[in-house]
Amino acid sequence: MNELATSPNVRQSNGEGPRFDPGITEPIWKIRWKMNMRSLAQNWEVFKESRVGMFGLMIIIAFGIFGLLWPIMINFVWDPLVYHPVVGFDPIMMHPSPPVAGHLLGTDPIGRDILAQLMFSTGREFLLGVLSAVISVVVGTFIGAMAAYYGGFTDTLFMRLADIVMLFPFVPLLVVIGSMMRLDIFSFAVILGFLEAFGGITVILKAQALQVKVRPYIDAARVAGGSDLHIIRAHIIPNVLPLSFLYMMFNVTAAIVSEATLSFFGVLNIDMSWGMMIHTAETAGYLFDFGKYWWLWAPSGFFITLFCAAFYMVGRGLDEVVNPRLRKR
Amino acid sequence: MRRYMLGRVGQLVLTLLIYMTLVYFLMQAMPGDISQMYLANPRIPQAAREELKKQLGLDRSPFLQYISYIKNFFTGNLGVSFSQYPKPVWDILIERLPRTIVLFVTANCLSFYVGFVLGRIIAWQRGATVDHIATVVGITFWTAFYPLLSLILIWLFAYTLHWLPLNQFIEPALWTRAPFTSNTVFGYMVLGIALIALAVFFIFWTLRRGLRRTRRSAALAWGMTAGVIGLAIWIAHATGTLIYIWDIIRHMMLPVCTLTLINFAGTMLLMRDSMLETVQEDYVMAARAKGLPDNVVRDRYAARNALLPTVTSLVLSLASSMSGGLVTETMFSWPGLGQVLFRAALGNDYPLATGALVFTGVFLLVAHFVADLLYAALDPRISYTGQPAEG
Amino acid sequence: MDALLKVEDFTMHYSTKAGWVQAVDGISFALNRGQSLGLVGESGCGKTSIAMSIMRLLPYNAQTKRGKIYLGGRDIYSMTAEEFRQARWKEISMIFQAAMNALNPVYTVGSQIVEAIVEHEPDTTEEEARRRVAELFDLVGIPAERSDHYPHEYSGGMKQRAVIAMALACNPSLIIADEPTTALDVIVQDKILREMEEIRRRINMSMIYISHDISVIAEVSDIVGVMYAGKLMEIGEADDVFKRPRHPYTYGLMHAYPSILGDKRDLATIPGEPPNLMAPPEGCRFNPRCDRATDECRAVEPLMTKVAPEHSIACHNPVWAPSSGGEQVGVAR
Repeated sequence: MNELATSPNVRQSNGEGPRFDPGITEPIWKIRWKMNMRSLAQNWEVFKESRVGMFGLMIIIAFGIFGLLWPIMINFVWDPLVYHPVVGFDPIMMHPSPPVAGHLLGTDPIGRDILAQLMFSTGREFLLGVLSAVISVVVGTFIGAMAAYYGGFTDTLFMRLADIVMLFPFVPLLVVIGSMMRLDIFSFAVILGFLEAFGGITVILKAQALQVKVRPYIDAARVAGGSDLHIIRAHIIPNVLPLSFLYMMFNVTAAIVSEATLSFFGVLNIDMSWGMMIHTAETAGYLFDFGKYWWLWAPSGFFITLFCAAFYMVGRGLDEVVNPRLRKR
Repeated sequence: MRRYMLGRVGQLVLTLLIYMTLVYFLMQAMPGDISQMYLANPRIPQAAREELKKQLGLDRSPFLQYISYIKNFFTGNLGVSFSQYPKPVWDILIERLPRTIVLFVTANCLSFYVGFVLGRIIAWQRGATVDHIATVVGITFWTAFYPLLSLILIWLFAYTLHWLPLNQFIEPALWTRAPFTSNTVFGYMVLGIALIALAVFFIFWTLRRGLRRTRRSAALAWGMTAGVIGLAIWIAHATGTLIYIWDIIRHMMLPVCTLTLINFAGTMLLMRDSMLETVQEDYVMAARAKGLPDNVVRDRYAARNALLPTVTSLVLSLASSMSGGLVTETMFSWPGLGQVLFRAALGNDYPLATGALVFTGVFLLVAHFVADLLYAALDPRISYTGQPAEG
Repeated sequence: MDALLKVEDFTMHYSTKAGWVQAVDGISFALNRGQSLGLVGESGCGKTSIAMSIMRLLPYNAQTKRGKIYLGGRDIYSMTAEEFRQARWKEISMIFQAAMNALNPVYTVGSQIVEAIVEHEPDTTEEEARRRVAELFDLVGIPAERSDHYPHEYSGGMKQRAVIAMALACNPSLIIADEPTTALDVIVQDKILREMEEIRRRINMSMIYISHDISVIAEVSDIVGVMYAGKLMEIGEADDVFKRPRHPYTYGLMHAYPSILGDKRDLATIPGEPPNLMAPPEGCRFNPRCDRATDECRAVEPLMTKVAPEHSIACHNPVWAPSSGGEQVGVAR
């Protein structure tokens, strides 16, 4: 049933040879690739069953399209002087302006178009979320696999480290760091990624890797003369990957929320993001009249929540792929 | 048991030391020389600088500086705040800490309880409308941008509906003529609530423990609870502190509700998932076969066992809920650790920021410890040797 | 005399994404008070489904298509959920397939039994219930003081005994034992089976044993039912069925097990695999694997017919063997 959790890609290529024509001339990587594709397709079938997951995926795709609109709009449709999210200013009207024909979502206190800001920021949110999540998951998976495989000192070291990192309240810590170093979006993503990597994700992935480690095919690989590195790379990591991928989704959510919160407090060196938009409205004092100036906070606040929720939902969908017991019976 | 506790406390102290070391090096790694900033701060008079320099060991090598930083922490000296000179950091934090603890503990207990109950219901009715609605609403709150959520709640309840006071810890107008300071009242309030909670716990522990939960024992337990609360209110009234306590509680409501809204969904969704696994266990079917009523099967079998992984995850998420708590404090101008931390960080008040960060860490460590003990009490398979028992 | 349990033409299907699984199809049997019935068959033949149907513990995707189950004269599927809940454990209890997991890990074993007693006999005090637990533990051979221990502190055999004690807690008139000893080693298995049988006879209780192991069934049952692919193939008094198996499937099943006591002989095997219950074969469900199958078998479904006073089979071409026993049976074509 649960294809990835029982190592189809490695076990079949080693053990169940007869399924393949021994006379095939295809190189091994091609076979591996095909089998990976097949297990991907099977997982996709399971994922499709999850309504929440599919809904989240559709929202993410919609965000992707929305983000891709930015280069098109700014190069071919909009006048950069009016719509530029960071420097644009529309001199014709009073600001902040409620939604009008030229500014579908209104303008902010310094005359920039809200819609253009949202669009411009989307790509950067993707960049931030995915970058930090990829870092955390790649590092976390590798450490988790190492700790589970070697045990002993390596294990103790990383697990105690994880205990401590889990103690860190990230947001206050990042506020302290950010207020002193004025992080930009890249360094922020990297710092966040590493903080997450050494924390809870290592513990969870290590637990999963431990379950893989005791499976017979690991012993078989060792008997067959596989080196430690080979076993970790070819047998353990592929089997924890689905879980890593799941936590990647949750980490995207965490990264976006942290960025938005820090931007909101104005401690990041980022010129434009959804959190920054709310920050601008707040520092200009428009949030005291909350209902009246709704367009200053509602679109960006809604986008942050929706974006995070979408990744979270995809994570829940993946949960059903990874954990068969959660599936609809 | 005692050895286990001692070992655990030892571990705790070690973890704290490492945490403090990390915070220290983090501060050292910041651009700019902190000791220079410390000494060049215009708010500190020239005369005090030499004294400070010696006290903090800034004239010595980095290693000795580090040693004196650790030593100073355990003797209650975290330096002097830049922004509130000459108030020692320790004093500021000690004053703020209880407020954060109260907010954090109340909101977390409440959100855990709400999440537990809701998760239990929606897992039991999997696939029903209530399941879908609760999941969607839960995900929305769980991923909501919490500074904005706090703003919306403030706007709705305080600004538009005028049900609850706007921000802050107390109503200044009320307290100008008060014969007590707010901290005294707050201290008694916390003590009183803790005593009430303890009393209620014992009432339910003694009366509702057995398998035969009759309606009479329920009535008795609830009656006694009401009596205890009534007595507490009467004492507060007799000492003339009632209106002040009520004022503090009114100010607490909004931040507690916000934190609960942010956090409950995490517990709820976890509880749902983990209960979807336990309902497939054989002992749940056995309980049904035994002819136990549906709610007993749900509560004592499926939910009771699903609670264990949920508590584990709660322990893992303590730090992130602390993050949310600190942000929420700032949004509500709740004068706790979070507000201090953010103000200090934004105002480059390094000693205060460091101190607040360390305090937060200490607090989280203790919370971890308590949660671990709770878990050991919940799961009979965990023996106090720290090893899961065989079987 | 009215039978204690009467199953009439009971048919239950599971709905799955791929289609209907015909797990139980037209099963009928009756069981008197004090009798024991053994149901035997390969895994997946519907034994457990029948047990769960009698307990009304079917999963949500199960659907009873036709037929009735009477317990003490009452149709259980027309009782309300609450009525049947009260009947469970008092009238009919169960020993679960995986006794290891049938105990809640967070409560003591004793309290889980007390819970059942207190639930069904509201007049019993907790003290009395605890005394009863001590007696039950004595009966199944666990030291009474172990009742305050948690399941993880028990060994596998003790858990099994505790589950048996639990099933006896409310003096039910019928116990369903679903693979009660499969998880245990042969020696403990044998001991527990004998003890169960002794207890059953002493308190004159009815019992349904479900097992894939025909030797277990042979040891304890008065009546034997052989199931294949959701259908009852042969049912009759144990002696008669074991001495003179009429159905080719029963015959094959009996010869697929080695006998420790008898002469050395080759083990017979039944070729092929059990059918897919979503699309069972036309006619007799056993026909693709049967060496006696004829065109009639492939087209017409055989009905249950009496071959002896208490012995019925569903077969067009039964094996008619001489009465002296298994070894000499020649399967004549």
